[in-house]
Amino acid sequence: MKNTAEERIKVLLKKHTYPPLEVIIPILQKAGRGEQELSAQLYATEVGVIKGMREILGLKENDLKTLAKIFGVMMAHYGQKFEPIELSESRFSVGIRDCPMMHVGKDVGVNVKSKFCDLVCSNGLSALKDSFGQDNIVCSWDKALIKGGGKCKLVFELVKSK
Amino acid sequence: MNRIKNSLVLVSVLLIVTFIVFILAWLNSPEYASYIDLQTVLTTSTATFGTILGIITAGLMFTQGRFSELSSELSEKSPNYLMKEFSLEKIQSIGNRLLFLQKTYVRLAEAATVVEEKSLYQRIVAKATSMIVDSAVLLDLELKQKGFPESALLASEMGSTLYKVYEKRRKNVKKEWHMLKTIKQIVDVWEAPASFFVNRPSEKSALHSDLNNSISILKLKENIDKSSAGIRAGIEEATENVEDEIGRIGERLRKDRIPQLLSQIEQASVLRGKYFYLTLVFIAVPFLINLLILPQLSEATVVFFRQIVSVTSLLSVMGVVFLLLYIHKILNV
Repeated sequence: MKNTAEERIKVLLKKHTYPPLEVIIPILQKAGRGEQELSAQLYATEVGVIKGMREILGLKENDLKTLAKIFGVMMAHYGQKFEPIELSESRFSVGIRDCPMMHVGKDVGVNVKSKFCDLVCSNGLSALKDSFGQDNIVCSWDKALIKGGGKCKLVFELVKSK
Repeated sequence: MNRIKNSLVLVSVLLIVTFIVFILAWLNSPEYASYIDLQTVLTTSTATFGTILGIITAGLMFTQGRFSELSSELSEKSPNYLMKEFSLEKIQSIGNRLLFLQKTYVRLAEAATVVEEKSLYQRIVAKATSMIVDSAVLLDLELKQKGFPESALLASEMGSTLYKVYEKRRKNVKKEWHMLKTIKQIVDVWEAPASFFVNRPSEKSALHSDLNNSISILKLKENIDKSSAGIRAGIEEATENVEDEIGRIGERLRKDRIPQLLSQIEQASVLRGKYFYLTLVFIAVPFLINLLILPQLSEATVVFFRQIVSVTSLLSVMGVVFLLLYIHKILNV
């Protein structure tokens, strides 16, 4: 019987496994297709993880602080370190020193990595929007790691709906 | 292998240090030393070595006591694992599923054209094989315990190289608690801390996560060109079944604190070995001083023994420093 939140999160992350991008990207590059299928897989995984996390942690709010909590727990469970930069009602930003694209083979060009970075991040954002029922969350990523920088900045913002 | 390498490095360093000390002491020995002085120095050195030997022996006895305590605690727990957690039926069922996974991934690896994909499948084959070997060891032990003849159920599928590995691992299980090491090895190969959506090649990933990754790939391929249709379902089923069994055993191991106890017994074993070698050194040196040098020391041989006495006295000082450093290290473990 998995009682603790930690145990339940562990089981959740085992159930919703992220596809191994360092293997999938070269396969898709060779096949010349399959991006839509990867998008669907990423989206389904993200939605499953976010929904499960909210249930386990009892997070019912749809604000950026809740998003920050989920983000932090997820990163901790994946053994990934991040540096918090800002957290307010309307803005949440972090610095990341490692990302899946960093582990995609050297044979894969920067442009391809950049394209898949967009695909991963935009799917993550869609999953967040749908799970939070918030259309006014925007996210930006500077791809600094792909460009050779030491730290990538990820910014989530809550914009006022027009 | 690593342990032997470390021991060789340690022995080489000790030999080099002793050689340097010998040369330095030889070169810097006093021009004139009286017979009485040398006798006092030798007696003091012998007493120092004796004291150090006493401390080391006490340490050795303490470590041995702790080792025996841990060994009996683990030995008490191990039969329960074979009876309940790893019963004959369970080992056979896990073994069969692992054999299925191994064979399937051998075929997938052969068919894969992308390097990364091939290497993932090969990694899965290697880990499944390692688990099969360990399961075969447990199966053999359990059959022996129950008085049944040896079954070649898992061993018969092995090639000659793998069979040698199996034989070696089987022979390594000399005490009852060694079996727990084998069980922990199986659990460790299967489950490891989760990593980000990437598996860094340099890091050790769990077989379970490698299998999940490969399932994601097969699912994707299925959607693209239907090339892996049918294979995935079998893999998923086998993975889920093995996860159920191994997950339960892993949980039980953690509940019984087996990983901690095994790590403690390993540390005690290493410490015991070091104490043993130290004891040998500190027995040999006073023995050398008392039996070889002291009886020969006289007014006539003072000049001849001058340098040797410098070396032994310097060694006794080094021994004290070394012991203090060692005690400091032990206290900080």
